[in-house]
Amino acid sequence: MYKLIEFLRRIYVVLLFILIETVALNYYANSSHYTQAKILSRANSVFGSLQSSVFSIKHFFTLRRENMELSDRIADLESQLAIYKEREANMLTDSLGFEQMDSILYESISQYRYTTARIVQSTISHNRNYITLNRGLMHGVVEDMAVITPTGVMVGYVIGCSERYSVVLPLLNTDFRTSGKIVGDNNFGSIYWDGHSPYKVQMTELSKYAQIEQGQEVIASGLSHYFPEGIRIGYVDSFQLNENQTSYDVEIRLAANMTKLNNVLLIENIDYGEISHLEQTTGGGSAKN
Amino acid sequence: MGLTLVLLQIFLFDNIALTSYFHPLIYVAFIILLPLDTKPIWTMSLSAVMGLLVDVTTGMGGLNVIACTALGFFRPMILSAVSGHSITGENAITGLHRFTDKIMLWYISAMVFIHSVIYFFLEALSWDHILRTLLRLLVSDLGTILFIWYFVKLFIEKILKLK
Repeated sequence: MYKLIEFLRRIYVVLLFILIETVALNYYANSSHYTQAKILSRANSVFGSLQSSVFSIKHFFTLRRENMELSDRIADLESQLAIYKEREANMLTDSLGFEQMDSILYESISQYRYTTARIVQSTISHNRNYITLNRGLMHGVVEDMAVITPTGVMVGYVIGCSERYSVVLPLLNTDFRTSGKIVGDNNFGSIYWDGHSPYKVQMTELSKYAQIEQGQEVIASGLSHYFPEGIRIGYVDSFQLNENQTSYDVEIRLAANMTKLNNVLLIENIDYGEISHLEQTTGGGSAKN
Repeated sequence: MGLTLVLLQIFLFDNIALTSYFHPLIYVAFIILLPLDTKPIWTMSLSAVMGLLVDVTTGMGGLNVIACTALGFFRPMILSAVSGHSITGENAITGLHRFTDKIMLWYISAMVFIHSVIYFFLEALSWDHILRTLLRLLVSDLGTILFIWYFVKLFIEKILKLK
């Protein structure tokens, strides 16, 4: 017995080392981006205010550029609004039947709700990068909201919320998946990040019959429940047929400079819960993204 | 010191958005600069706590605990190997300030390298992009070693000399 205790006394550091490493390796192997986001959003309750202050200083130096971008965006939206107003006025002055009037009223209720947020923490140097926003549950932010830049370019979607902060899974995370397509073509592919350049993402499984050229715009296909159709992702940088010659592998230059993000827009798909519930009860829609 | 390094890591070094290849892990300075007479069990436990703190604040899911605990465990062996002395017993070195610049640089480099090998290869979890992982390791390690070297020269040495 004494010898056993003496033996354990000699090797207890090794035993503890093996124990800690086993627990940590097991946790790391089984952790998903969801579990990590949960821990991160809890840590934000402690570090969030400090992170927010640090980012405020950084933010100050980019205000001029942001104002320019926002002014351009307002001008763009104003011109779109003018078109819609004109169209609406024309339609109402036309002699419409009762059923057509009803469809106008129905479409005027938007499927998407918008809100704004500021980035307080973001990284690009990991394989699994996350972005922390200064808006949480108390501001109406919920999980699965899409995150875009003020100029309408895809950033990611919300995967965890605390009371005052939320965590975003950005395009620059190797777990990120969404569906995209080339403007003017109905074939869609799967978008992911290979963990290399912070300026490029990849698209696979794009049909070999797709009309593709270098420099073409790549947008969200609308098949994802997170992102409305037409949200800009980037531009075709290069493309080639895969080994089986069945589909294209495309390299996409991101439209958003993920290294210089400050303000973002959050979009909630109001129908998301209803669609998910319907898919679960009917067993359809296996692809969440 | 530990908390300062964690805060520096989170607020400064994790925010350097130059390239995805440059990811200095400067908080290992805490493990490197622990007093030489710290008992192995404490070195390893404090290293694990340091890793846990960074994991929780950056959402890395245990990766830093794995790398830091291993570094804490192997530190006595690395110290003996680079200095040529045991850190216990009669010929033991009494403190880091007794190290010559050359030994100190070897010691910092060895510690940073072992930590980052575990960190970057576990993060990549694949041999497919080994060249990219090696490049990340090289670029980040150079940054980390440089930072810790100047951190030691500017602050730690002065504090030790005052004592």
